[in-house]
Amino acid sequence: MNDGGKESGQDNQNNNSTKKSSLPSPSSGGADDFSRSIAKIAVSQVCESAGFHGSRHSALDSLADILIQYIHDLSKASHFYANLSGRTACNVFDIIQGLKDLEAPRGFPGASDIHQCAVGSGVIKEITRFVDTYEENPFARPVPSFPIARQPKPITSFAQVGEATAGKHIPDWLPVFPDQHTYIHTPVWKERTSDPKADKIEQVRQRRKAEGSLLGLQQRLACNGAAMSAPAVDYIGKGKQVVGSNPFLAPPLPPGEKQVSEVVVPDEPAEGKRVSILETFAPAIEAAKQGSFIPNVSLKNRVLPSKRPTVHFKFGVDKNSIAMQVSSVAAGAKRDTWFLRDDEKDDKKRRAEMILKESMEKPDGLAQL
Amino acid sequence: MNSSGAGGDGKHDDDSALAEFLSSLMDYTPTIPDELVEHYLARSGFQCPDLRLTRLVAVAAQKFITDVASDALQHCKARLSAPVKDKSKQPKEKKLILTMDDLSKALRENGVNLKHQEYFADSPSTGMDPSTREEN
Repeated sequence: MNDGGKESGQDNQNNNSTKKSSLPSPSSGGADDFSRSIAKIAVSQVCESAGFHGSRHSALDSLADILIQYIHDLSKASHFYANLSGRTACNVFDIIQGLKDLEAPRGFPGASDIHQCAVGSGVIKEITRFVDTYEENPFARPVPSFPIARQPKPITSFAQVGEATAGKHIPDWLPVFPDQHTYIHTPVWKERTSDPKADKIEQVRQRRKAEGSLLGLQQRLACNGAAMSAPAVDYIGKGKQVVGSNPFLAPPLPPGEKQVSEVVVPDEPAEGKRVSILETFAPAIEAAKQGSFIPNVSLKNRVLPSKRPTVHFKFGVDKNSIAMQVSSVAAGAKRDTWFLRDDEKDDKKRRAEMILKESMEKPDGLAQL
Repeated sequence: MNSSGAGGDGKHDDDSALAEFLSSLMDYTPTIPDELVEHYLARSGFQCPDLRLTRLVAVAAQKFITDVASDALQHCKARLSAPVKDKSKQPKEKKLILTMDDLSKALRENGVNLKHQEYFADSPSTGMDPSTREEN
């Protein structure tokens, strides 16, 4: 069939813009163009069978549009009547009713009889006559498969699987649940913020740091013991280290193992209960005055340097002396290296002297201990 | 839908006629392919797995198009057979071509208002008198 020469078919699309607007998304792309081309071929075949020798592109386009619109309207009307009857699937009566609506403006035999049965409607009779009259004229070429999935894949229901529903309130035509492992429990693992290698390195580094600080503490304790520097160590940390070196908590030594405090023992009983503070601390004061406290003490009284912290603890009760000691120690910066400096030793001597003076001024504080 | 009105015998005849017609549609292949009809039916929400109903829709659409085309053909023939005043412009060969003018007239009879857009240049001869066109 001559379809009107070689005019450009693209421009002809504009002719039908008014018709297209009522269709859903006419310019949606390939699927619509595809179906529209097929409709055009079918329409041209119908025109040829009607007796035309040829046709214009614009006329064919318009007629194809009208064909599509007709199918669309008819299906919409049928769908409407099916829904009106409470059904989702259409049957032949819905189509007949839709045809009646569509053919009403043209008129058909029996249209005036509103009580006529749909089965014997004039519309069906006309179509039957048309089918009987016109010879079969199949589509010219096999239609390739539409680029659209016609039927969405339905989800299998409980009934199809044969599985019992979880409860009676769930009808068996509902779609089955997904596999249980998808919704019962989902294991969640904590995201690692860093790689294990870096973690291990960091762990080793911290352990080394702890060992280093522990070693430093031990060294300092040893040096403190040697240098008779109890106050600083005791106030550095009031934790277990202090308790470990606390002479009050130590088990008592067997008598005679250590020679202790000859200063106090030999003279006092003769004078009675009252103990003169000055006499008690006379050696210490003497040594402080002489300037070399430690050697004198160790020489004259043979008191072990490690025992000196007990003296401090007794005076530590007084708030004033504590505050002065802390200020004289000047906090942590000096503590690390104080035992290495000579002037620090002098400072220590001065402090010991000061403590003794203080205790002399407040004899009751000493008596309590 | 199946309301009273038709006689009992006629109703029975119509029933059998409809069933026979529907079954005959299985053998009748409309010009409009089933795939096209199914595509547009699905787009408007029509659900029916029965091929006969799809064919029924196709046949109804084909009947409508055929009616329009035959009407347009009559218009075309009437225009060609009209007496032409200028004998020199009489085309030698009378070819029946479906044009928008004839189609518009035929569609107006069927309840569709379609107007040929004046500015649309369908062919180099558009705008000239239909009888004077060089029909191809």
